[in-house]
Amino acid sequence: MLTGSSQPAEAKTKTQSMSHRLGMCRMPSAQMRGQGLRNQRIHTHLMEMMLHLKQTIEKNLMHLTTRHLQQDLVLEEQRHSQAASEEEALLGRLIYQLVNLLQSGAVGGLGLQPSCPSLDVRRDVRGGQWAQSSRQPDWPVHQLSDLEATFVSQHLSSRGIDISALYHSSFQDYKIYQRDKYHEDKNTMGFINLGLSENKLCLDLMTERLSQSDMNYIEDDLLQYPDWRGQPFLREEVARFLTYYCKVPDQLDPENVVVLNGCSSVFSTLAMVLCDPGEAFLIPAPFYGGFAFSACLYSKVELILVHLDSEGKKVRALILINPQNPLGDVYSRDSLQEYLEFAKRYHLHVIIDEIYMLSVFDEFITFHSVLSMESLPDPNRTHVIWGTSKDFGISGFRFGVLYTHNREVASAVSSFGYLHGISGIAQHKLCRLLQDREWIDKVYLPTYRSRLQIAHGYMTKKLEALGIPFLNRGSGLYIWMNLKMYLDPCTFEEELLLHRRFLDNKLILSRGRTYMCKEPGWFRITFADKPLLLKQAMHRFCQVLSEQKQDLIMKQLENAQRECSLCLRRNPRHLPPVQAQPPHRTWTVTMGMVWKENALENQTGSCQSSVEWVILPPQRPLIAPTCPLEEASLNGSGTQLRRATGPTTWTSMMRIRTPVASLTWAPVRTNSALTCCPGG
Amino acid sequence: MFTLPQKESKAPTTCPGPASTQDLDSNHGDGLERECSRKPDWKLPEFCGVGDPTATASSDSSHLSSRGSIIKWFWDSAEEGYRTYHMDEYDEDKNPSGIINMGTSENKLCFDLLSRRLSQSDMLRVEPSLLQYPDWRGHLFLREEVARFLSFYCKSPAPLKPENVVVLNGCASLFSALATVLCEVGEAFLIPAPYYGAITQHVYLYGGVRLVCVYLDSEVTGLDTRPFQLTVEKLEMALQRANFEGVKVKGLILINPQNPLGDIYSPGELRDYLEFAKRHKLHVMVDEVYMLSVFEKSAGYHSVLSLEGLPDPQRTHVMWATSKDFGMSGLRFGTLYTENRDVATAVASLCRYHGLSGLVQYQMAQLLGDRDWINQVYLPENHARLKAAHTYVAGELRALGIPFLGRGAGFFIWVDLRKYLPEATFKEEMLLWRRFLDNKVLLSCGKAFQCKEPGWFRLVFSDKAHRLCLGMQRVRQVLEGKSQVPDDPASCQSQESGNQHR
Repeated sequence: MLTGSSQPAEAKTKTQSMSHRLGMCRMPSAQMRGQGLRNQRIHTHLMEMMLHLKQTIEKNLMHLTTRHLQQDLVLEEQRHSQAASEEEALLGRLIYQLVNLLQSGAVGGLGLQPSCPSLDVRRDVRGGQWAQSSRQPDWPVHQLSDLEATFVSQHLSSRGIDISALYHSSFQDYKIYQRDKYHEDKNTMGFINLGLSENKLCLDLMTERLSQSDMNYIEDDLLQYPDWRGQPFLREEVARFLTYYCKVPDQLDPENVVVLNGCSSVFSTLAMVLCDPGEAFLIPAPFYGGFAFSACLYSKVELILVHLDSEGKKVRALILINPQNPLGDVYSRDSLQEYLEFAKRYHLHVIIDEIYMLSVFDEFITFHSVLSMESLPDPNRTHVIWGTSKDFGISGFRFGVLYTHNREVASAVSSFGYLHGISGIAQHKLCRLLQDREWIDKVYLPTYRSRLQIAHGYMTKKLEALGIPFLNRGSGLYIWMNLKMYLDPCTFEEELLLHRRFLDNKLILSRGRTYMCKEPGWFRITFADKPLLLKQAMHRFCQVLSEQKQDLIMKQLENAQRECSLCLRRNPRHLPPVQAQPPHRTWTVTMGMVWKENALENQTGSCQSSVEWVILPPQRPLIAPTCPLEEASLNGSGTQLRRATGPTTWTSMMRIRTPVASLTWAPVRTNSALTCCPGG
Repeated sequence: MFTLPQKESKAPTTCPGPASTQDLDSNHGDGLERECSRKPDWKLPEFCGVGDPTATASSDSSHLSSRGSIIKWFWDSAEEGYRTYHMDEYDEDKNPSGIINMGTSENKLCFDLLSRRLSQSDMLRVEPSLLQYPDWRGHLFLREEVARFLSFYCKSPAPLKPENVVVLNGCASLFSALATVLCEVGEAFLIPAPYYGAITQHVYLYGGVRLVCVYLDSEVTGLDTRPFQLTVEKLEMALQRANFEGVKVKGLILINPQNPLGDIYSPGELRDYLEFAKRHKLHVMVDEVYMLSVFEKSAGYHSVLSLEGLPDPQRTHVMWATSKDFGMSGLRFGTLYTENRDVATAVASLCRYHGLSGLVQYQMAQLLGDRDWINQVYLPENHARLKAAHTYVAGELRALGIPFLGRGAGFFIWVDLRKYLPEATFKEEMLLWRRFLDNKVLLSCGKAFQCKEPGWFRLVFSDKAHRLCLGMQRVRQVLEGKSQVPDDPASCQSQESGNQHR
């Protein structure tokens, strides 16, 4: 079913073209893109699918090989009989599909759903049909049809498909969480989400404040079409609020304030009005992944990481997040000044997201808002974003602010007021909230910060106990930690797998890859939640990590054994091992035979070791006589091929170092099997 | 460049010349090839008698992108009438000589009922879950309530499903999102004109989608026809014409009850239009934002959701909002109902940008669920007040001998002031519009609705009696002054279009 039908092929072309476009925004520079193809997210289920495909391939290979052999015995000319070439074509298609799927998977835009049963795509795409969604037991086989259902819609435009796909891939976890939230009484088995940066520490205070009678006020004006920049009373209050909390030398001007329904909206509109499609923003990575999403979803603007002007892209702006997300860094006044000067030199706009400005809980750290600077290097190109989602923990309120001295930009952004308007009723409540300086200063902020401190303290202690390195900053709602030591090998695929493992244990974290982090293994964990929940979450966290090493080892073993049995079936002749390999837990495969060397005695072996295969073809060389297979990228999966050295009687020898979970060596074996002679 | 006139092409072409748009394109055409081919074609859609906004846009801004300049132009120009009004709003006590707004289609008759209802204790609930990141499609409790509400008021044959509902902050957002997920940049929707002009901006700003007008005219051609009647024949012609010009049409927008005509489509007509769309594989977006504002029972309104067996349910998308029917345009609540899950999902993907506050979602669920209040208090009272206001304005117009349309739905009357134009041009129409504004009454002119015939105005009557009375008095002054005093070419360089708000 996976082979000949035209629909998967259609899915493939769609996803291919999509992956190209999505690739643009996710992997801007050539270097990054290459890396992306090799390293980027290969979804678990994709791997399962590959396993399935691989088995098909192997079956066909067996067939082919025997056929070849028989033909060898008969006539050279008949070598390519009808049947054989058909099978070869079939094989070719399969491999082609594999490669394509891998490539598109590498870009991550597919939104392929993992194998975890609770992650059925249909559940959310098809909304409430959960009950009738009868999932088949033989799961991997159904992946392609899911793919089609989601992404090959005849009704959507291609960008509509892109948007859906990008959303799916970026917000999978979020949707799972929405369906099955942890609740201390009602749903103790639900997902705990420490991947989302949401401040749940002060919901009691907020609920109480918002329930007070001054909040509930209905006036004709609030129900009528508003000023699309935001109601004047609210813009005035925002100006006062920012003047005070950003320590602005002069009073800010309400005319420079534009209020929209959330910071993503502000960011999206800025991307629209500052950039043309295909132009770019410059952003230090790792950074909050929502930006990439906001920049390209509507606006088709790329984010370029750190370096100026790669590939002749026109860079229009620099994005700074202060306090930084996910690092938690707070920029000093001097470095801020430097960044702004830099931007000015290159005529770049600077978009500064200060959404965590009140969430600095370490009293020795001072936050400096860009608005507090005596004189901005380039005020007309400096645009500040703030919102209540984080600092007040009311992300459900949908409120974001733009402050800019540039009236042109303000007007242009205001054009979108229609599309990003906030309810008048909510505007009133926000105004009251921001106005109540006394409550904020005397009740809210002190409580909030001390709770942040406590939660942060708890979390860091746990991490220290586990020996996990992390960045210890005094701001934000999250900790940036390094779980590299739990990855083997240290790749983004493994990072994803670890992430999945957390998911399987109903714990959502966010992984470095989604922040465009260059090194695999980093995770962001949010700590701004109730102590009880944190405790439960850390329990799951420890459990996962303690299982991780053990499990990796087990998986390696299983894989090796499976291969072994396959190979044995194919070629029962016993060939001696040619080489003793220094790394422990090494298996040597000769013509399909598997040997274990230094095998099991080292159960606790370092995670760095990996399965090694040596395939020894006989008289004929492996693929081509002197084919430079080293580092040949078979299909972008991260597989490395190295020519083996050492004494051997065989004409050539291959060693393939494979990430355990990746089965991408199959095509190589294909070749070896195809060219191997029985006499070997 | 985007007029598709039906008969003789006599449409005024005051839209920007190709030179200026090309300029914009070439300035920034150095992206990757792929990006280039997908690059929005930032030509301005044909608007009302606009000058050349791209000229100013490209010259004066070193800070905005080229599309940013055009976007800004929307803000600067289209809102002028509205802003003039806001600077000098009429207030009984504080500013009795201020401008009376008969241009914005808002229902100001029932604020008393609404604020009383919204102040009741059940509205005050604040719950932590309402303050946190929501399901972006809208909280489930609200989508369930919307489904029940629409099932009841649209008289759907079977109960509607909450999973087909997506909630956003208003129909404007919905138009924007639908345009984006259904069309590529430069593709188009068909829309019968005159139509609520702001849709142009909604589908264009983010989506880069254009509108192909199906021009209707006031001429009555047969016994069973009415002025500005939409027929399948006209739809076919417009579509053919668009195809001929190489414009790919992806959908059809129907507003029912129609804005600004106040027209109501019969079930037979609706079905004809839907069949037409099905034949050509067009999506149909039916904007039913005035569905509960049908104040003449005899008008016999039928929602598209009430039809048994939709011709093409997968391509039929229904929009509704509380802005009109509950007179709460400032509340920003709109909803999509579609059986097409792909479309629902794609629109929901954009909801991150079009979300509405959880507290407001809660209040809306309470409001829509209060069937007793809606049926026994709100709707009867609202309809009675609308009817009274309509009767008054219609009487005034009749007294003035002014022809008008209005079939007992909506907040407005489509008024024929052609005889007051010395020449049948949009320039004259604009002059008249300006004259009204100078006399402190804001109306919307036909050009703002892409009406083909100059001289039509939309007059909103859903306002308190004293304001209405004063407004009509000012209208009369202008018209009578007009008929007496010969036209003087006033200081009217403004080329903007009047009010674009619903």
